[in-house]
Amino acid sequence: MIDAIGPARLALIVAFSLLGLFFTFVSMTGVIRLPDVYSRAHTASQADTLGAGFTLAAVALAAGWQGVGFKSVLLVFFIFVTNPTAAHAIARAAFEQGNVPWTEGDERR
Amino acid sequence: MADAGDSAPKRGSVVVPVESTPTLRATVTHLIESAADGEFSSIHFVVFATWRRDDPDTAGREAAVDRLLERVSTWAEADLADVDDADVDDVEVVTAVVGADEYLFGADDYVRELAAYADDHGAETVVLDPEYTPVGNTTLLQPLEFALSNTHLAVREAPVTRPTRRERLRKEATGIRFAATFGLSLAFYLALGDPLYPFDLASGVASAAIVAITLSRISLDANPSISRTPIRLLRGAVYVPALLYEILMSNLVVARVILDPRLPIDPTLNRVRVIVGSGLPITTLANSITLTPGTLTVRARDGNLYVHSLIPWAREGLFDGSLERWTRFVFYGREAARLPTPRERDDVGIFQGPDATEEYPGARSDGGTRGESDAGADGSTAEAVEPNAADADEGVTPE
Repeated sequence: MIDAIGPARLALIVAFSLLGLFFTFVSMTGVIRLPDVYSRAHTASQADTLGAGFTLAAVALAAGWQGVGFKSVLLVFFIFVTNPTAAHAIARAAFEQGNVPWTEGDERR
Repeated sequence: MADAGDSAPKRGSVVVPVESTPTLRATVTHLIESAADGEFSSIHFVVFATWRRDDPDTAGREAAVDRLLERVSTWAEADLADVDDADVDDVEVVTAVVGADEYLFGADDYVRELAAYADDHGAETVVLDPEYTPVGNTTLLQPLEFALSNTHLAVREAPVTRPTRRERLRKEATGIRFAATFGLSLAFYLALGDPLYPFDLASGVASAAIVAITLSRISLDANPSISRTPIRLLRGAVYVPALLYEILMSNLVVARVILDPRLPIDPTLNRVRVIVGSGLPITTLANSITLTPGTLTVRARDGNLYVHSLIPWAREGLFDGSLERWTRFVFYGREAARLPTPRERDDVGIFQGPDATEEYPGARSDGGTRGESDAGADGSTAEAVEPNAADADEGVTPE
């Protein structure tokens, strides 16, 4: 399988994997650095959208347009539908609990 | 049925939420009979609007509701004529559409609108058609009866014969919504499995049937229209690359902010009153906003989206309303997309920070007890809420 992949395609696969890794890394950094639940929800969903998005794009490229490749495209689609729903559920729960978003000058929580 | 003893002096008004159900006809008859017994002097048949007054493209839905209300009043008149009683001469039948000011989400919102209408018209009783389920309210969600029990309104169900479970199932199973949900689920199942393998085929039909029976009324709040759905899907296909581009751009901006050692964030909670239409359009918009890093939909309330923004850049983008415009384009076409931006309409507000334009909304301003003000004032909620007065002697900067 792997030897059938041309150099251009291989380069694209590597680029997409690296991009996926980069955005996952950014997202992780954000979860650690940001001050409250709302801002963390922003960046946590970032890992899903572009982190997982680019990684699955790389998988789809590597696997070709059958079976696995097709399913990974569907996976991207589902992540794009479910991820904002989950982020919204977390944020809404926090809001309903009376959790006021962090603003400039507040203490980290 | 009311007791014979107190029926004579108590001639109040009654509110009846209606939609097109098999038992609606019988419910109308029951109400007219109750009125003839002297229980009610005025009957209000109301329909909840599934649109908001300034939405684009609502003529079709409004016309359907008007037809329903017209049918109800015709029935009521016919029944009044049938009742051979002097008492009914002064029975008043009113029809109305409520809730067209705001988007309604779930049982609580419906009940709030209903209670407000009842107060305005001096009604103390609500009679429910046993088959009545407002849009999106099914047995899986919080039932309307439960939400109604928290109000001062007296609630009862009209004692009419309901169709048997089997009849209802048969009726539902032949509906367009059912067929659409079933077909879509089956197609998806077979796309993952192997359409030629009998086991996949059989289990696919079974699972699609279960999905369609339980969810067809939740997933689709109206029958999909043959003329409109394909063009919406087509416009949706145009929207996806545009959305991906937005996501990529804001991801890069947010990534730079997060990796910046100074962490230059300025998060605020904001409000946008959007014009897109209830149900699927507003869900699409809220999801798109959340998908774009830097903005996060926290709450949809009274037609407002409460959106948390991480940086002012994301907030400005939100107020410029490009996603709102795209959503309108997908659902209503190019005409509707050209409405002014939320900022131009003055439909925006900032709740926090130095640029705040509006008071921070309590968590449950619609009936709860715990608002931001009391949580902050008594300070008992640990470090969760610290008043901004602490700014001055705040020596520690966020790491």
